[in-house]
Parts: sequence; C-alpha cells; structure tokens
Amino acid sequence: MVSRARSAAATATRVTDRAGGVGQAIRKIVRRPQLWFGAVVLVPTVISYSLFHFIPMFRGLWLAVVDFDPIRPAASSFIGLANFYKLSLNPLLFIAMRNTLLLATMQFVLMLPLALLVATCLVSVKRGTNLYQGFIFLPVVVSLVAISLLFRMLMDADVGMFNRILRSIGLPTSRWLASSDSALPSIAAIDVWKGLGFYVMLLTAGMLNIPGELHDQARVDGVSEWQRFWYITLPLLGHTLVLVMVLLAIGSLQVYTGVVVLTNGGPGNSTYVFNLLIVQEAFSNMRFGTAAAAALIQLAFVFVISVVQFKLLRPRWSY
Amino acid sequence: MRSQTMRLVVDSALPLRRYLGQAALHVVLLLFSFIAAAPFIWMIFGSFKRFKELTSSMYLLPQVWTLDNYAAIILRVNFVAAFRNSTIVAVLTTVAVLLTSAANGYVFAKYQFPGKDQLFALLLSTMMVPFAVVMVPLYIFMVDIGAVNGLSAIILPGLWSTFGIFLLRQFMESVPSELIDACRIDGASEWRIFGQIMLPLSGAPLAALAIMHFLGSWDSFMWPSIVLRSPDKQTLPIVLAGLRDLWWERYDMWMAGSMLTVVPVMLIYAFASRQFVRGLAMTGMRG
Repeated sequence: MVSRARSAAATATRVTDRAGGVGQAIRKIVRRPQLWFGAVVLVPTVISYSLFHFIPMFRGLWLAVVDFDPIRPAASSFIGLANFYKLSLNPLLFIAMRNTLLLATMQFVLMLPLALLVATCLVSVKRGTNLYQGFIFLPVVVSLVAISLLFRMLMDADVGMFNRILRSIGLPTSRWLASSDSALPSIAAIDVWKGLGFYVMLLTAGMLNIPGELHDQARVDGVSEWQRFWYITLPLLGHTLVLVMVLLAIGSLQVYTGVVVLTNGGPGNSTYVFNLLIVQEAFSNMRFGTAAAAALIQLAFVFVISVVQFKLLRPRWSY
Repeated sequence: MRSQTMRLVVDSALPLRRYLGQAALHVVLLLFSFIAAAPFIWMIFGSFKRFKELTSSMYLLPQVWTLDNYAAIILRVNFVAAFRNSTIVAVLTTVAVLLTSAANGYVFAKYQFPGKDQLFALLLSTMMVPFAVVMVPLYIFMVDIGAVNGLSAIILPGLWSTFGIFLLRQFMESVPSELIDACRIDGASEWRIFGQIMLPLSGAPLAALAIMHFLGSWDSFMWPSIVLRSPDKQTLPIVLAGLRDLWWERYDMWMAGSMLTVVPVMLIYAFASRQFVRGLAMTGMRG
C-alpha cells in the first residue's frame, strides 16, 4: 500500500519533472536570441515571397485553367485546357514562338564566339585590362530604352549613321529595323552589343579560375596557343560555359523591352515575340486566361532548356 | 648543326612573335571598345545638335551647340516628375534590399533550423520563374489592394532581392563562426552582432549589390510600364519610351531624353565600375 503510494508519487514527480523539462526546453529555445532575430528576419521574408512570388505563381496556374470572372474571381468556373486551346487558335502564337526561337538562336550563335574571343583577349593581354573592360562593359549598365532609341536613330534607313557610313564607302545599305527581313537580325545584333560585356565578364572570371600551371606546362611542351584554348581553356571552363549558355537562352526567351521600343513587333509581325503576346493578351485584349496559359508555355520552355543544358553539358571537369 | 640554327631562329623570333601577339590582342580589344563606346559618344554630342544637323552632318562635334532639345524635354514632358519617381523607387528599394539581403544572408549562412535548406532552395527557385508567369496575378493583386497606378506597386515587390540574399549568404558563410560565437559569449545581442560585425564585414558585396540593384531599378521597364498609367506617376524609362509617339522620329529630342536618363547611370558607373564588375563576376560563382 505504502509502496504503491510511493511509486505513484514517484511517477507524479517524474511526470511533473518531464513537464518542467519540456517547459524549460521551450523556454530555453524562446529565450535564445537567435530565435527572435531569425523570426524577425524570416517571417517578413516568407510573407513577402508568398505575396509576390508563390501565391501569384499558383494563381497563374489557376488563371490558366479557369474562365476568369473579373468581378467575382471566386466564381470563375473551371474550364480545363480551354484557354490553351483558345490560345492555339491564335495565329500570333506560332509567329511569336518562331520569332522568339529565331531571335534566341541568332543571339546564341553571335554571342558565344564573340564573348569567348573578347574574354580570351582580355585574359591574355598584359596591359590595359581594366580600361578595356570598362569600355566593353559600358552598354550593359545603360538603360535599354535609351539604347533602343539610340539604335533606332543609328539604324534609320534614310538618315541613320549606319547607312550613311555604308553609302560613303560604297557598300549596299539596309533597311535595318524598317524591313521585315532585317528587323529580327537587327534586334539580335543590338541585344548582342548590349549584353556582350556581361558574358565576357562571366567568362573572364571563369578563365582566371583555371590554374595557370596547366597553361605553363602546356607551353613548355610546345602546345600552340590555339590548341591550348581548345584543349585546356574550353574544357575547364565547363561550369561557366553552362551558366553562360543557360543565362543566354533564358534571357533571350524573355526579351521584351528592346523589342517594344525598337519595333513593337513590326514591321508586320516580323519581330512579334512571346512576351509581347503575353502582355497584349493580358492588358490590351484583357484575356487573362490565355495570357496565363501563354506564360505557362514560356515557363515550360525555360524549364526544359535549363534542364537539358545542365544534363547535356554537365562538365566532367570544372573550376 | 641544322637544328641548332633552327633553334636560334626560333629563339630570336619568339620575342617578336609574342610582341605581335600582344599587339593583335590590343587591336581586337580596341576594336570592341570602340564599337561599345562609339554610339554613346555620338549620342552625347548628338543631343546638343539641331535635328537637321543631327541627321545630315557626319561631324561628331556640333557646328551649332544648342540646349533647345533639353529645354523642350524638361518643359513639355513630365521628365522632372519621372526623374523624381525613378529616384524615389531606386533609393527606397535599394536601401531595403541591402537590409533584407544582409539579414537573410546572415540567417541562412549562420543559423541552424529545420527546413533551412529547403526554404532557401524555395526562395532561389523564384529566380527561374519568368516574370510573365506572375505578372497577371500580380497585376490583379495590385488592383485588389488599390496599389495600381502608384509607385507602391513597384516598390512593394522590390523590397527583397533573391539574388541579393544569395550573394550575401555566399559571402557570410566565409565569416568564421568562432567570431560570432565569441561575440555571443561576450554578451552581444544578435542585433549587435548583425549591425556591428556582419554588416561592416560585408562592405564589398553590399556595395556591389547596391550598385546593381540601383541600376536595375533605374532601368526597369516591363512591370512599371504595365502598372503605371498616368504620366505623373511614371518612371524615367516609361516616359522616355513615350517620346517615340510624342515626337515621331525626332531623334534630337530622343537623344536629349536619353542623355537625361543615362547621365546618372554613367556617373555611378564611372565612379564604381570596379564594384559593379566584381559584383557581376560573383554571379558566376553560383555554378
């Protein structure tokens, strides 16, 4: 009897002990200054990212599959893939896709060799690196709208500087942005001019990370400059190269500002790109559903391209 | 005997070849520097020319210097208001981004809590999502909270920068934890450690982030062009792009407007290009 009472009392103390332990542990955690600092930092961050990234993302998915009712959004009815179907009936969809992919390809083909060339020169040159870097990087920082206005002036078919120079040295002139044949290549060239410095900078940083002994060793072995570039620099640049390609592809799939200011999709629809289609569907035609559907197609493109590039080009060596 | 003479020839040719190689590099770099800078030089002087001269003369320097273009831009277009709007947005978001990036960088670099890596990956994943995907829902949200057609519609989503958080976390991971622990043992509060140790130590990446974010905000076009409709609320790039329709093919006006937009950027770049380039080189480190 007594022993049972004692054991019951013991259990009770053990329980209160444990409760006290938990309470103390909680108190200990709550008193930790890190918790408060962490909470003050993370809670607003999570709220902000939810409001401006995560919730809009999910609402974007939702918009694409409902018949959006702007007055009572909650009453919008589910319509499955009807928005995608409506979008596929829009002849501009395929024009926008074709132009965007064409533009991306042209930029890629122009940008990569040029950036590699300039980066190699910047790394190898002994004097004036900072000065050259400063100039080549200049177009990257200057507002794209200003640059677009500037190039519209330079590329004017009649009074533009480009054609005046071509005329004065007796070469055939071009209509540049004013003709549907040359408008898209002109925009690609402007984008390359504007972005070159950025990719040169990434490649330069990557090249400077390659250990110099490798080049020294190769030089001692009598390996030529060209072979060293081809067999040492390029393979060891793996990581940087993949990064450059992904950024290039993702960036050129999302061009907007330059095209809007330079041609606004014209002449005809020769420079009508994907983002132009999304913005026009949403804010000129007020068709939020098809705009959201088009945006998801773009997301899929961006996703696939980055996955494919990372898989295909996963470097065995990298620095 | 023959191989000896050959080696002699090769040895004597080597300095010359190296010299020529360097010269070739300089030629290439000079050419690209010229291509990069020439349009801007043409723009700077072009903004002081009259329309007729700008579209006919091949000379770089204006024959007749004029400030009429600037006067017209400032008096007849809302450039002053646009300048003020752009400055408000750029300064506010840059200050906020510096604070939020440093604080989040500190927490993600030095704190341990369950789900930390997943949360960080979730934040980073927003960098992969094209803006067009969130654009329409964000617009509806801004209409709902009555922020549309106000500067708050571009300030509110711009107070956090994913790239900034990433950059600062990357940097603060290299700060020794022993230093922070020593401060804690000495009784320093987390706020004090953050304000007096972590922030001052992160001067370099914060400077790079400040410049990049300021310029990014200054040049931002797509979202402001969608939410800012009335002229007195618009930022510089929107007003500048509006010159196309206001003065069709009036390149003299365009150049003056571009100059007013670009000069602050060029000044910042001239004084801080090294931080900027260093900051961009850091983007390459995420590989």
